[in-house]
Amino acid sequence: MAFTEINSKMIQATVMPGQRLYSQRGAMLAYKGEVSFTPNIQGGQGGVMSMLGRRVANEATPLMSVEGSGTVMFGHGGHHIQIIELTGDTLYVEADRLLAFEGTLQQGTMFMGSQGGVMGMVRGQVTGQGLFTTTLQGRGAVAVMAHGGVFEIPITPGRPVHVDPQAYVAHHGDVRNKLSAALGWRDMVGRGSGEAFQLELSGSGAVFVQASEEKL
Amino acid sequence: MFRLQGSKVLAVDMTGDAVKAKNGSMVAYDGQMAFKKMTGGGEGIRGMVTRRLTGEQMTVMEVRGQGTCWFADRASEINLVSLQGDKLYVESSNLLATDAGLRTGTTFTGLRGASQGNGLFTTTVEGHGQAAIMSDGPAVVLRVSRQYPLTVDPGAYIAHQGNLNQSFQSGVTFRTLFGEGGGEAFQIRFEGDGLVYVQPSERNTIAGDV
Repeated sequence: MAFTEINSKMIQATVMPGQRLYSQRGAMLAYKGEVSFTPNIQGGQGGVMSMLGRRVANEATPLMSVEGSGTVMFGHGGHHIQIIELTGDTLYVEADRLLAFEGTLQQGTMFMGSQGGVMGMVRGQVTGQGLFTTTLQGRGAVAVMAHGGVFEIPITPGRPVHVDPQAYVAHHGDVRNKLSAALGWRDMVGRGSGEAFQLELSGSGAVFVQASEEKL
Repeated sequence: MFRLQGSKVLAVDMTGDAVKAKNGSMVAYDGQMAFKKMTGGGEGIRGMVTRRLTGEQMTVMEVRGQGTCWFADRASEINLVSLQGDKLYVESSNLLATDAGLRTGTTFTGLRGASQGNGLFTTTVEGHGQAAIMSDGPAVVLRVSRQYPLTVDPGAYIAHQGNLNQSFQSGVTFRTLFGEGGGEAFQIRFEGDGLVYVQPSERNTIAGDV
C-alpha cells in the first residue's frame, strides 16, 4: 500500500522508481529522499483528448505527478483524509476532493446524465457535483479529503442507503444512485425538516459519508 | 438506541420508534425513515411561544422508522448523556438529538446565561432515555460533589445534569477596568451533586474580553 496515515489529517506516501503518484498541486507538506514534482498540464492521465474532456467537464483540478524514490507527506487545508483501497472496482468522487492517488489507477470522467438521464443531471446540480464526476478504476489506493471524519456505510442488495447530498463524499462498487425527493407541503411553506432531498444508493458496494454538511 | 460511530457521528438504531433531532442533521440512513419538522420543538403552543420569547428557538425534526440513521453537525464532537429521571441543562445550539420520550423545556438562567454569551435562558431535557450533545472539541465530564464544588469558564461550559446549584462569580478588580484583566473575569460555580460537561474551547463571551 502506497499510502499510510500519520494522523487523521496527514498521510505519507512511499514513492519508488517506476511508480508514479498523482496528487493535488501544492498538497505536498514535506518529503524525504529524491523526489521530483512535475506539474501536470493535462491534469492527470490520458492524452490531450482526456485533458480537453476534463477541461470541458470542469473536472480539471491542478494535479502534479510525483516520481523518484523516497517518502512524501500530503495534507491540505486541515481537511480529514480518508484512504480508500480499490481492488478492481470503480470509485466515483469529485475532482476537488481528490488529494492523491496511485498511478496504477485509470482516471476518467463520467457524465452524470449517463446514470438516470435528465434526473442524473438534476442530481448532479443538487449535490453540487455538477454535470460530471471523476472516476478512478483499477487496483491501488486513493486519498480523499472531507470536512470532519469519514465513515463507510456498506450497501447490500435489497437494502438501499440514503445519504444527505451535502454529506456525500464518494462511493465505489456496483452502485446505482438516484435522487429521491421527499417534498411535502411543509417544505413549500418553509416548514421542512431540512431533509427534502436524499441520494438513494442501491446495489452492492460502499458509500463514504462525512460528519458534516459543509462543502470543502 | 444511541451509539457513537467515531467521535463525530451519532448512529441511532430504530425499530419503529422515534427520535427528536436538530433540523437537517441527518447525514445518512438505511431502511425506512420519515422526517417531520416539529413546530415549536414539539412542546405545544405554549412551548413554542416560550421559545420564541426567550430566544431559545430550536428547529427540531422527528425521525421515525426502521433501520439505522446517522446524524452529524458541522463535524462537532458528540457526547452521549443518559438520563434516569434527572434533568439535563444544555444550550439549545448544543443539543443534537434526544429520545422521543424525553421532555424538553426552557428555563431562566439569569446572569450566568448572559455571561456565557447565550442569552438568559437555557434548554432543559428530562425523563428517562438518552440525549446527544455537541461540543467544540472532545468534552470532559467533571463530577461535582458536596465537598468539591467546581468553577467553570462560562465560554467553555456546555451542559450540566443532576442536583446542582449554580452561582455567578466575578473577579473584576481595578486591574480589569484598566484593561489589564486576566481574561477570566467571570466564572460559574457549581455546588451540590452532579456532572458538568466542559469543552476544550471557549465561545466568545463578555467574560473573555475583560
